[in-house]
This record gives sequence, structure tokens and C-alpha cells, in this order.
Amino acid sequence: MENDKNSQKIVDYIGNFARKHSLFVLAYGTGCGAIEIPATMTSRYDAERFGIRGAATPRQADVLLITGYLSTKTLKRVIRVYEQMQEPKYVIGFGSCTVNGGMYYDSYNTINGLDQYIPVDVYINGCMPRPEAVISGFVKLQELIMAGKANNGEKYRENLEHYRSNQKKIIKNWKMPDYNW
Amino acid sequence: MTDLVKENILLNAVTSAFKIEGKVIRDRRVEVHADKNTVSSILLFAKKQLGYIHMNHMTCIDWIEQGEFELVYTIYHPVDKLTLFVKTRIDREIPVMENIDTIWDHANTYEREMREMFGIEFPGLVGEHDFILEDWDQIPPMRKEFDTHKYAAETFYTRPGREDAKDVREELSKRSGTVVPDFAKKYSRE
Ligand code: SF4
Repeated sequence: MENDKNSQKIVDYIGNFARKHSLFVLAYGTGCGAIEIPATMTSRYDAERFGIRGAATPRQADVLLITGYLSTKTLKRVIRVYEQMQEPKYVIGFGSCTVNGGMYYDSYNTINGLDQYIPVDVYINGCMPRPEAVISGFVKLQELIMAGKANNGEKYRENLEHYRSNQKKIIKNWKMPDYNW
Repeated sequence: MTDLVKENILLNAVTSAFKIEGKVIRDRRVEVHADKNTVSSILLFAKKQLGYIHMNHMTCIDWIEQGEFELVYTIYHPVDKLTLFVKTRIDREIPVMENIDTIWDHANTYEREMREMFGIEFPGLVGEHDFILEDWDQIPPMRKEFDTHKYAAETFYTRPGREDAKDVREELSKRSGTVVPDFAKKYSRE
């Protein structure tokens, strides 16, 4: 939200400041990249000093971390998880596989390009990214939050038709609950 | 180097009992080639008489040029520490094979996978048709005539930027001054 002076309202500023410093991450451990998460979270790199920590369930999480290639079967679960999350919600695509398919670009069963199916805030490239890269991705996300630019949950709601049609192209037998938007 | 005594005894036991061909691959590895109808009797014989009580693995190879699938059953003797491969060929057009999950229960899992990935039917096999894939409506993806590159290009969104990607095989051969062999050329990008 912006006020008439083109800057954030003070309440949004405070809200964003608080959000930025408590990112609860739901690490959806697909692909090989999930192995970097323990390294990022534990004492050597200690991501918790940035306020990044794990969440138990989608409804308690702010960030959905997709750590690698997604098979079409997993994509279905990821969409459900994403839709269950409460706004504000952010997605980080982790590794080349989420960017353009990576080394699985010609596989019959893995998607290329995660942002066709759910909106992605930050991509971290690398195969696989090191913990430094992961943390820099989170810092980038914090900058976006602070600037009020990370509102992809809203974007998803507004462009639901577009995303749904892409999702249904892959998931042929669509038997998913409709969450009330 | 050992003199492969145990291996030859095993080879003789199986080949003479069923009048089939086979060979010792190396120490602790023996393979026999059987007709598809005798496979289950060989497996049962090996399990009950010879003590090959464990099935390690069961897999399929697509020999598209010869119009055949090769099935390989890998079974293991935990005391002698010998591995026996029972290989058989089935027709690619009518891929039907005997169900052996009455001998080893866990063969069920491998058979379901082969049914899904190669389209081989196992009469009497119990289990959901969807195993790893969901809602698959193409030909089984592990068959060699399935063009996975084309399918992926049609089904999934391709992000621009891969056009100038180099072919690793050709780049390396250029750098080291060697020639790409003929059989590898069909896998090249261009
Ligand atoms: S980007 Fe590399 S490390 Fe990450 S999931 Fe893909 S292949 Fe694995």
C-alpha cells in the first residue's frame, strides 16, 4: 500500500519490517537441493540469525522453498500446499531445475519453469546452490518484502485463471479441493 | 584369482537341470539364458534346491532393434555369496510374462513398475495400475520409441536461453581432436 507521497504507509512499514525478520520456511524437500537446507540451518551458516526458521505445516509458513526438480506428481502436492498457505506468502525456487528444468529439461516427468504454475518471488540458481547462495536469496526476499514488492499471493489470486489453465495442462485428472479465495 | 569352483558348480547345476545355456561372468557372478516359460521353474529350483532365497532385483532392457524385451532376474545366495542372473527374452509386440510374486512377494513391486514403464503385462498381478506416474496417457515412457525430448518440449513450458547451449559430446571431441562415433551421433543436438 502506498500513500499520497508515494512511499509506504507507516503501518505497512512496520508490518513489513516484522515480516522480514520472521520468515517461517516450509522446505518442500524435492530434488537433490534439500540436502543444503540442514547445512544452511545449522551452526556453520546459522540462517536463524536472519529470522529464517522452519515451519511445521503450510498454514504456519510464510515461505515455500522448492528445492529442486518437481515431477508432475509432486507439482500437484506443491499446488495444494501453496494454496493452503496464508497470505502473505512467498515462494523461493531453488536450483536450476526450478528455473528452466536444469539437467532434467527433457525428462517426461519433470516440469521446466516453476513460475508457470505458481508465482515465484526469488530464484536461486546453481546446481545445487551453496548455503551462502541460499542465504543471499533470502536476503533478497527480505529486501523485496521491505520494499513492499513481494505480493505474489495477491497476484496468484488475481491471475488464478492463467495459473489454473497451466496447471491443468500438466495435471490431467484434476481432483483437488477448491479453496475459497 | 580364484579358480571359480563354486561358480562352475552352480552353472552346471542349473544348465544341466534345464538344458540351457549360461556362463560364468566373473567370480561370484553367474548368468543363464532361459526360455520365458522355464524362468519360473528355474527360480523355484534355485530357491528351494540351491538356496538362492533372496531376489535382489528384477529389471527389463528394451532391445528395440531386435524387437525384444530382455528380463533379468537377479537372485542371491546369502551363504555362498553367489549371484545368479536369469535372463530371458520376450516379444516386444506381445509383452506378456509370467507373474512370479508367488515365489517372492516383493517381485510385485518390480512387476508393477515394469508394467507401467515398459507396458509388460503380468497375468494375475494384483495392484493399482498407477504406480509412479499419475494419469499417464502416452505410451510407456521407458520404451525406446518414446521421444522424451519431444514430449517435454510439447508439454512443458521451455524458458528461452538454451538455444546456444553446446553439445557436450561434440565440444569435447573438438577440444581433444577425437571423432564422435557413429552410434553416438544420433544423440547429438544437431
Ligand atoms: S538444480 Fe541440480 S542439484 Fe538442484 S535438483 Fe536440479 S539437478 Fe538436483
